[in-house]
Amino acid sequence: MQTKDISHLLDFVVDRLEVGIFAVDVEMRIVLWNHFMASHSGKHSEDLLGKNLFEAFPELPNEWLKKKINNVFILKNYAFTSWEQRPYIFQFQHNRPITGGVDTMQQSCTFLPVKNTQDEVEYVCITLFDFTDTAIFQQQLNRVIEALKIEKAEQLQLSKTLEEAQNQLMQSEKMSSIGQLAAGVAHEINNPIGYVYSNLGTLEKYVQDVFGMIDLYEQAESAITDEATRVRIKEAREKLDMEFLKEDLRALMNESKDGITRVKKIVQNLKNFSRVDAFDEWCFSNLHQGLDSTLNIVNNEIKYKADLIKEYGDIPEVECLSSQLNQVFMNLLVNSAHAIEERGTITIRTGMREKEVWVEVADTGKGIAPEHIKKIFDPFFTTKPIGKGTGLGLSLSYGIVQKHHGRIEVQSEVGKGATFRVWLPVRKPQGKQA
Amino acid sequence: MLTKDQRDALQEIANIGMGQAGEVIARVLNEFVTLSIPRVLILKPNLIAPALQRIVNSEAVSAVRQAFHGNLRGEALVLFGAQRCNDLAGLMGYEEKIDHATEMEILLDISNILVGACLGGIAKQVNADIGFSAPSLMADHVPVNEILKISDVSWECALLLEVNFKLEKLSFACHLIILMPENELKTFAGKIDRFMEAF
Repeated sequence: MQTKDISHLLDFVVDRLEVGIFAVDVEMRIVLWNHFMASHSGKHSEDLLGKNLFEAFPELPNEWLKKKINNVFILKNYAFTSWEQRPYIFQFQHNRPITGGVDTMQQSCTFLPVKNTQDEVEYVCITLFDFTDTAIFQQQLNRVIEALKIEKAEQLQLSKTLEEAQNQLMQSEKMSSIGQLAAGVAHEINNPIGYVYSNLGTLEKYVQDVFGMIDLYEQAESAITDEATRVRIKEAREKLDMEFLKEDLRALMNESKDGITRVKKIVQNLKNFSRVDAFDEWCFSNLHQGLDSTLNIVNNEIKYKADLIKEYGDIPEVECLSSQLNQVFMNLLVNSAHAIEERGTITIRTGMREKEVWVEVADTGKGIAPEHIKKIFDPFFTTKPIGKGTGLGLSLSYGIVQKHHGRIEVQSEVGKGATFRVWLPVRKPQGKQA
Repeated sequence: MLTKDQRDALQEIANIGMGQAGEVIARVLNEFVTLSIPRVLILKPNLIAPALQRIVNSEAVSAVRQAFHGNLRGEALVLFGAQRCNDLAGLMGYEEKIDHATEMEILLDISNILVGACLGGIAKQVNADIGFSAPSLMADHVPVNEILKISDVSWECALLLEVNFKLEKLSFACHLIILMPENELKTFAGKIDRFMEAF
C-alpha cells in the first residue's frame, strides 16, 4: 500500500470511527473534528477548523477544560476524564431516542499529547467515548443494590421484632411459672401452718390449765407438814424463778401465735396474687383485694421510700384474670417506688366511669422525660441502672391490659412525678378473643 | 533481584526523574512543589501492606490506581491521607461548587499528573516508551490496610518506589507508590544496565 493510500485510510478511520475525535493546538484552535463530533454537535468540520474551541462552544466548562488541555501541553502526557465523576463535556444527545434512560450522552475522554519530531506537544487530541449504556446499566445496578439494602434493613428490623416478641413471650412464661411455683409453695406451706396454728391454740389452753394446777399446788404448800419437803420445794421454785417463767411462757405463746398469723397472711397473699384456685381463668374479682395483697408483697420495696395513700372508690367486681392484673399493679407500684429518689408519696386511687373502672398509681418521683414517654412500653426500654430493671415490666403490663381490652394512660411532668391509670371494662367484651 | 550497582543506578534514575517531574508539576500547578528523595524497596507480597501503612500515617485513606504499560509494566498508587485536596480545585481551574464527584475527579487528575510526570521522568532516563491507562478510584476513605488486598499473586516480590509529594503553600501532601512485579523487574534491570553503560 502506498503512503497516500495509508493516509487516506487513516483519514477515513479517524473520521468515521464511532468515537468522538478532535484536536486543538496550543491556541485552542480546532485542527481536527471528526464525523462523530460533527453529527452529535451539529457543527461541521469545515465551519470549525481554525476556530477557537471555546468560542465555538461557549457552553463548555471554560476554565477547567483550558487548564486540562494546557496541562497536557506542559506535561506531555495523557489526561483523562470519566463519566462517573463528570458525566459529560459536550452536551450531546444520547443514542437512545426511543428507549431513553439518561438526559445526556455519558462520556469518558482521553487527552492525548500529539508530539512532533522534537518531542514537543504540537496538538492535544481528545477522544470522546460514549459510555451511556454502561452508565444506564450502572444506574440499574445501583437501584437494585439500593432496593436490596432497604430489603435487608427491613429483614433486620423484622428479625429484631421477632426476637423482642420471643423475649416477651419467654418473660411472660417465666412470670407465669413463678406464679405457679408460688401457688404450689403456698399450698404446701398452708397445711403445716394450719396444724401448727391450731396446735398453738390448744397448747395455750393446756399451759393455762397446767399453770392453774400449779397455782393450786402452791396454795396447798403450807399444808405440807414435812419441813424438809417444804424447803426442797421452795428451793426448786426459787431456782426455776417460777414467776418469770409464768410470765415469759405467756409472752412466748403470744409471739408464736403472732408469727404464725403473719405467715398465714403471707401465704394467703401469695395465693391471692397467683390465684392458685383459678389460675388464668376469667372471673369477677374484687380489684381492691388484689391491690391489697399485691401491696403486702411489695411492701418491702415501698415502705422505706414512700408513704402510701389509698383512695379507693366504689367499684364493682371486674371480670378479669386477677393474677395477671396483680402483676400489672405490682409493676406500677415497684416502678413508682424506684422513681422516688429520697422519700415521697404513692397514691392508689380507683374509680369508675360508665362501663369502665380505673386504677391509678401516682407517685411524686422524678417523672418521665418527654422523649422517653413514647418508648416506655417498648420491650427492654429502661432508664434504671443495670441490674435494677429488665425493661420488660411495662411492656408486659401493656400486654396484659390489652388482653383485658383495657388501656394504660400515662401523665408525667419531669421532677413532679408520674401517674399511670389502667382502664378496664367491667365485663369482658363478648365475642372478642382474649 | 537487583545488584547493588543496579540499585544505586535506579536510585540515581529516580532522583533525576523526580527532579524533572517536580519542575513540570510546578509549572502545571503554578505552585512550589516538594518531592521527597525516592525510596526504593524490594518487598515480598505480605510486606506491601505494612509498607503502605508506614508511608501513609493516617487511619483512613483514599487511593487512586493507574496502570502503566509498554516497555515497563506495573501499577502506580497515589495515596491521600485524611486531608482532602479540595484546596487544589482552584489550581485545576474549577469554578463550580466542589461536590463529592468533583472531589474524586480532582483526586484522579492529581494522581494522573503525578504518575505521568514521575513515571515519565523515569521512563525517559532509561529510554522506555510507556503508556498509561485511565486512573481509577480504588478506595474512598477506607482503612489503609484494606486498600491493597494481596491474596493470590503470582509474583514473589515486587519493586516499590515511594515518593512523597507536598505543596508547601496549601499544606497538601500525598504519596506516590510505583509497584512493578518480579518478572517486569528483569526487563527494567536490563534497561538500567544500558543506562549505566551509557556513562
